[in-house]
Amino acid sequence: MSVSFWAWLVLLFPLLGSIVIGLGFRALPQKVAGAIGTISIGLAFACGVAALLSLLGDAPEARHHASSLWDYASVAGLDVKLGIFVDPLSVFMVLVVTGVSTLIHLYSYGYMQSDAGYHRFFSYLNFFVFSMLLLVLAGNFVLLIVGWAFVGFASYALISFWYRRETATRAGMKAFVINVVGDIGLVLAAFLIFRELGSFDYGTVFERAPEAFTTNQWSVTAICLLLLLGAFAKSAQLPLHTWLPDAMEGPTPVSSLIHAATMVTAGVYLIARTHILFELAPTAADIAAFTGLATLLVAATMALVMTDLKRAIAYSTMSQIGYMIMGVSIGAYSAGMFHLMTHAFFKALLFMAAGSIIAAMANDQNIDRMSGFGKAMRFTSITFVCGALALAAFPGTSGFFSKDEILAFAEARGGMYLIFTVLGYVGALMTAVYSFRLVFRVLPGRPCAEAQELIDTGHVAHEVPRNPATGEPEDTDVGFPGPEHHIAEQSLPMRVAMGTLAFLALAGGLVQVPGVDDVVTKFLDPVFAGSALARIHPSLGEDYAGLGIGGLIALAGIGIAYLLYVKEPGRPRQLERRLRPLHTLFADKWYFDEAIDFLVVRPALAIGRFASRVFERFVVDGLVSGTEGTVRGAGGVVRAVQNGFVRSYALLLIAGFAGLALYFLLSSS
Amino acid sequence: MSSAILWAPLAFGLVGLFLPSRAVGWWATLGAVVTLGLAIAAVLGFDSGSSALQYAVDEPWISGLGVDYSLGVDGLNLFLILLTAVLWVGGVAFAAFREQERPKTFYFLMLVAETATLGSFLAQDLLLFVLFFDLMLVPFYFLFGAWGHDRTAEGGLTASAATLKMIVYTLIGSLLMLVAAIATAIIAADGGHLTFSIAALQEQGLSHGSQQWIFWFFAAAFLVKMPAFLLHGWMPDAYRAAPLPALAVFSGVLAKVGAYGFLRVVLPLFPDATVEFQEVILLIALASILYGSVMAFTQTNVRLIAGYSSVAQLGFITAGIFALRADGSDGAVLQMVNHGLVVAPTFVIVALLLERTGTEDIREMGGLALRAPVLAALFLIVALATLAMPGSANFVGEFYILNGLFQAKIVFAFVAISGVAMSAYYALRLYQGTMHNRQPEGLLSREIGVRDALVLVPLVLCIVSLALYPQLILERTAPTVAQTVAKVGGGEAPEAQLADRKAHDWEATLAKR
Repeated sequence: MSVSFWAWLVLLFPLLGSIVIGLGFRALPQKVAGAIGTISIGLAFACGVAALLSLLGDAPEARHHASSLWDYASVAGLDVKLGIFVDPLSVFMVLVVTGVSTLIHLYSYGYMQSDAGYHRFFSYLNFFVFSMLLLVLAGNFVLLIVGWAFVGFASYALISFWYRRETATRAGMKAFVINVVGDIGLVLAAFLIFRELGSFDYGTVFERAPEAFTTNQWSVTAICLLLLLGAFAKSAQLPLHTWLPDAMEGPTPVSSLIHAATMVTAGVYLIARTHILFELAPTAADIAAFTGLATLLVAATMALVMTDLKRAIAYSTMSQIGYMIMGVSIGAYSAGMFHLMTHAFFKALLFMAAGSIIAAMANDQNIDRMSGFGKAMRFTSITFVCGALALAAFPGTSGFFSKDEILAFAEARGGMYLIFTVLGYVGALMTAVYSFRLVFRVLPGRPCAEAQELIDTGHVAHEVPRNPATGEPEDTDVGFPGPEHHIAEQSLPMRVAMGTLAFLALAGGLVQVPGVDDVVTKFLDPVFAGSALARIHPSLGEDYAGLGIGGLIALAGIGIAYLLYVKEPGRPRQLERRLRPLHTLFADKWYFDEAIDFLVVRPALAIGRFASRVFERFVVDGLVSGTEGTVRGAGGVVRAVQNGFVRSYALLLIAGFAGLALYFLLSSS
Repeated sequence: MSSAILWAPLAFGLVGLFLPSRAVGWWATLGAVVTLGLAIAAVLGFDSGSSALQYAVDEPWISGLGVDYSLGVDGLNLFLILLTAVLWVGGVAFAAFREQERPKTFYFLMLVAETATLGSFLAQDLLLFVLFFDLMLVPFYFLFGAWGHDRTAEGGLTASAATLKMIVYTLIGSLLMLVAAIATAIIAADGGHLTFSIAALQEQGLSHGSQQWIFWFFAAAFLVKMPAFLLHGWMPDAYRAAPLPALAVFSGVLAKVGAYGFLRVVLPLFPDATVEFQEVILLIALASILYGSVMAFTQTNVRLIAGYSSVAQLGFITAGIFALRADGSDGAVLQMVNHGLVVAPTFVIVALLLERTGTEDIREMGGLALRAPVLAALFLIVALATLAMPGSANFVGEFYILNGLFQAKIVFAFVAISGVAMSAYYALRLYQGTMHNRQPEGLLSREIGVRDALVLVPLVLCIVSLALYPQLILERTAPTVAQTVAKVGGGEAPEAQLADRKAHDWEATLAKR
């Protein structure tokens, strides 16, 4: 079986799963629907592995395959086929996406059990995975845009999953509209690519680009900047990130899926995929790198002060994606992809653990109210700590190796790129602090009421669930989780998923240890074979120096968090008061929401209101009254014979024909 | 074939007048279905590689005046005919499932309207086109006026006043067009043999000076019909007045006749003027896109959200045609079909919502998805297609349109594309406002019934299948469009030539190595 055969199957199973569950929402028992959903993603993963093995059978330089099913829209010189492109980069993404998604489905199988929208949830979830796979397997820019937009829609559907919650529907709308802005960037980039290179097909475009463009030519720079618009919107980079924290309105497995396996990594993939263009436009690449840097720092400051457990983790995602965007933009392609993989492991895990805790808290996400879960939920706590260790880049964990590789590359590239290393380490310090801030706030200490209840009775019984954002009672009709919502301790599928991810979060980095092995780099090498930047390698000494510094910073960060949140619990409040303006800035999320609201949303709505209240009434309708008046006035004749407009029109029509006949008579005589 | 398609609805309509009132709805549905069968047969028998007129009929009608009964099908109208047939089946069947007042007249008028619409698509004679174009209006005048809703309670107009307003607008356009058609023939004949055949007129050609003013006479008629920005004053009142089954076919098909007229009449007959006024029409199209979108933002009546979104969509279609490139016009033809296929189901859904909630105000609805998941899912697909979600055929249409515009007039493309972002907002707002959020107290919601599903599901299936294979339309449209656009100097898309050249260069460099 060929590589592309397996790749098509990778796409088929999730789509089929989504359709079957969607159509069978009345007929299928809940367990069957969940099983279909999980197994179809598992099968996709298996096919991904088969594709991998098949691909490894080829010679390294022949490891790319294009295949198409039918002409999708190919007329007038446009060449759009329903085609896929399979190479190590797409197979790598397929494996990460399907692998982590399988575990997330398994987790959801347990987590969503008491939810009335179970079928809808799994149908959407499978569709989400299908969309992401379409995005990474697409063989041309048009299909890429299709996958790109499907991901946007799937995120909308899942964020507003509890659709009677107005905060959820609003968040979904926000995610969707911002994503459409990104889509537009991609569409315009595609037009420009077509204008310059005459094709939408990856193979043709990447082949012609080096011939057609000189370095930093305006057109290639414009293409890259437009691509970045798409990448930033999807990967939540400044200033298009505001949808990401709001996306926490969806059920927790969705957060896990959006943040770990799918969606936010799309921008990283896009830059790696089009790296040929970005190397021709170094200015655009630098802009991307600096945006990534700014995002990772700004997001880290917000993660330091958020009191909402899921939102704090969300900002950490933004920050980590910043590292990846920075990595692939400066040329550390395989390092960026490596970090994408390890991040998928530990971030999925962190969200799962957080979901378990939040379930125990009856959807209250405020960490000020949480404490003592270490005793109440042992398994959840252990996995949460595993995830936090990897996020903080504790020596030996997966995040330790992958984050360091990006920073070491920047150091090896030298010159201006040293900034990325230095500020990257500043970000790393904040990362360690905020990840262990969560650990120390939630796990140790005297158990809060919910945790105590769990310890005493072994289960939780909540009163009416309330929307944490607004405080109003939830509408349980649409399947808002009731009291007996599941926590990891009581559900085997959830434990299996979290256990596997905990192992991967700790040990997943061992595939690529400097001087020992470099599985990821070697596998991705054929994709970046033509790139000069990919030939830059930090020396072993630089690598180990970097690892040393990174390890010390991680330990220092954890130490600071320990001092602040365990040793001297009064200190954070004190700091908060002393640094009031800074704290407010961070806690108010740097006022991005307000700025967008002021600059875009309000003006648009104001124009709309003006149009309907003033323009429509006075100008457009004025025109009508004017015309009506004229017609009525001129229609003195009309009114005189007391006929309606239709009759008068018939009259005029006849008159016209009569005139014509008259003309004909005159001209022929 | 062409004649059979054209007259079948009218024949059924006439027979229906003599049937018992109870049966007439089903009889009319049968008539629409038979017409649909004929239209499908026409598509199946269509030679997709050819740009020539097929199933052509050409009989002298008023030979002294040079008016022929001349019909034909080519890439421009093939799928618009199919669209008409499809939507009329939906509209008539939807009405047949409900009680209608004075059913005989109602269905007779519906079928007359179908014949008139098909006639304006099929006509290959300028005067015949004008005749059918005007005839279309008559049945809708009565349908809107007599079966419509009075909106005086909401500060609006009575049904007849709203209809009058619509008639005034379109009447002026039609009269201008009639004058223009006659003038075209007379000037082109230049004292010689008078003919209204579009093909013959095209060969005779018109002087530049005559083209300039005749162009605007036609343009006015078409822009009012769409309606375009500033000429849409009739739309809000007429849309609020119209009975929903009639409105579904009206907005689904009639607006397209305007856009189609540009391709059928204006581009071939007035090529010089078309090129000269390209940017003016593009400006009108852009204004329609932006204004329609912004209005769709703020409306609270669900009909008007759909109505103003149509203004924006027709703006896209016009912009595609006036990119004067093959890809733009291909996209425009595809988009005409797409838009018909989304706007008609939208109005069917509006009718269903009205039956469930008793209101058309989006602020008074919400949360309906819970008791009506199937209806919600169907609506979701329609809404996504409306906002031209990538993966839908609407996206392909818009992509072609915008690509044409981008390559022809890049600045216009940048402005037009902002309409895409706005459409995402208003289409989702329409969906969310009705199906999601809190359900207001006392609102009843129930699932779509089997009979209404029989109307809605096939329409949605059309949307889905086109999404998978838009090439179906594109490849049959492209040859005729290429020929039409070549008249205004569009010719082969320059990019295609560029691509060829670059590919050639590339091969040469490879060979050198």
